[in-house]
Amino acid sequence: MTAAATLAAQAPVVARRRRPGLAGWSYLLPLLLVVGVWIYLPVLATVVLSLLDWNLTSPTAEFVGLDNLRRLLSEPEFAQAAGQTLLYAVALLPFSTAVPLLLAVLLWARPGRASTIYRSLLFVPAMVAPVAVAVAWRFLLNPLNGLVNEVTGRVGLPAVNWLGDPAWALPVIVVVTAARVVAFNMLLFSAALSGLDRRAVEAARLEGATGFEVVWFVVLPQLRSTTVLLGLLSVVLAGQWSFTNVSVLTQGGPDGVTDNVYHRIHTLGFGYFETGMASTASVLVLVFFALAALAAEAVRRRRGRS
Amino acid sequence: MAGRELLPDGAGRARVGGLLWHLALCGAVVSLLFAVVWALLSSFRPTSRIYGLTPSWPTLEHYTRVLAEWPVATLVGNTFVMASAVAVGQVVIGCLAAFALVHLTPRARRPVLALLTVSLAIPPQALIIPQYLMATRLGWLNTEAGLIVPQLGSSALAVLVLVQHVRAMPVSAAQAARLEGALPREVLWYVVLPALRPAIAAVAVLVFITTWNEYLWPLLITPRTEDTTVQIGLSQFVTAEGTDYGGLLAASTLTSLPILLVYLVAARRITDAFMQAGAR
Repeated sequence: MTAAATLAAQAPVVARRRRPGLAGWSYLLPLLLVVGVWIYLPVLATVVLSLLDWNLTSPTAEFVGLDNLRRLLSEPEFAQAAGQTLLYAVALLPFSTAVPLLLAVLLWARPGRASTIYRSLLFVPAMVAPVAVAVAWRFLLNPLNGLVNEVTGRVGLPAVNWLGDPAWALPVIVVVTAARVVAFNMLLFSAALSGLDRRAVEAARLEGATGFEVVWFVVLPQLRSTTVLLGLLSVVLAGQWSFTNVSVLTQGGPDGVTDNVYHRIHTLGFGYFETGMASTASVLVLVFFALAALAAEAVRRRRGRS
Repeated sequence: MAGRELLPDGAGRARVGGLLWHLALCGAVVSLLFAVVWALLSSFRPTSRIYGLTPSWPTLEHYTRVLAEWPVATLVGNTFVMASAVAVGQVVIGCLAAFALVHLTPRARRPVLALLTVSLAIPPQALIIPQYLMATRLGWLNTEAGLIVPQLGSSALAVLVLVQHVRAMPVSAAQAARLEGALPREVLWYVVLPALRPAIAAVAVLVFITTWNEYLWPLLITPRTEDTTVQIGLSQFVTAEGTDYGGLLAASTLTSLPILLVYLVAARRITDAFMQAGAR
């Protein structure tokens, strides 16, 4: 793509017709309709529902103001779920940054057929149905005669009820979730690496830098923004990534130790039919995300200035 | 291949480095795929020997049982219809919108793209209650419409990727068409879409796979087994037959198979598609 062509592409082609606005909006309408109706309308509806006492089916709903918030915050289960959402975020951080970054750099360092094959294989966990992954682990971790206990037993370790033991359940969910995160982010780091300035790498090579030095001083600095972005995304998305595994493997148990806010919203809304409390939890999540986005934007601006 | 290596290596060290490189990546592949591969292999073992490490002749008993007792064909059919419809829907919506945002209403581009980026950041779990209410009020519980239409709301990524491609297109042909008095829809159909074909294929595959693997929304909107998708069917299987591991593993292999077969055929293209979308 030449610069001239890209520049030309910036210029609208059909905008000067007689009533371009109207025609343009008719092309935009389907998008605005589906996003408006199925994303933004639900955002507003969640706020309204959070102020009502309602059970999802009853014909009448009572306005209770912030009472749902008071009840939610006094509920120990929600505090626990919120804390564990952060725990998931921290525990998954290396699997969304360091590990996939290392793999992507390894793949990038020796381009060729082997590298392409490895990349395709490493991405498979992102393709396998998430429920199937959960089932596979349930089989391996079976407390009676699953492979993991079989192997740990042979080296003399006691059998563990991996998914039923409050000490082990959350780490297990993290490990089960990790493969998918590593696979996805490996590919995203690869994408960032493919846009890397290769001249700097060539120059460093000519200067006689070792492979390690090239990676450390030339490659990694160029990946800093991608790493920060994926790290932030991981903090934000960890709870969502683990949702399927929590839902299939533990339903939040034992004793709620694998619960997170997203699974709690689901339990409150569709398990207890506490529509108001579930919506209040959703609003808290949305507010948290809005604040996080504003903070990220502020950090980005300050960086841009200095 | 040695000539294309980007990292410097002495000739002797290169071989050792290469060996370590293969070891590291093989190790990574094994640790990422071990659970799934082990489950796949075990699904061919007889029930009496499904655990443990002793080798045994492969058997298809679990597959014949699951195929007879579990509505695999219905589930795969439902999921296929849902994933194709969502992929086609998002691509159509995305092409119309991308064309409009670049060529018809360039002033709307910034606000609309901002709206889409925000919608991408909203966790889907935070919207399930109103979405569920709306869909059930429309009578969409246990229907294909209920599975498909609400998922069109997550068109943001498709649109963002397509906008990028439309913007990067050289437009001399489009300009020529305009000079000859072509209507916008003619420019879209004869000039933009043909050039956009590779991007459309990539986006369609990407949306198809993510929708196939979607868990939360089908769980809510299609609780009835005969109307649901493979993911939910499988999770119901877990609840109902939790200890029939032979059946479970066979069912979960059948569940993943269609996507894995597609991936086997077009791995390179699919990873490229995800990389392009991720580069955003």
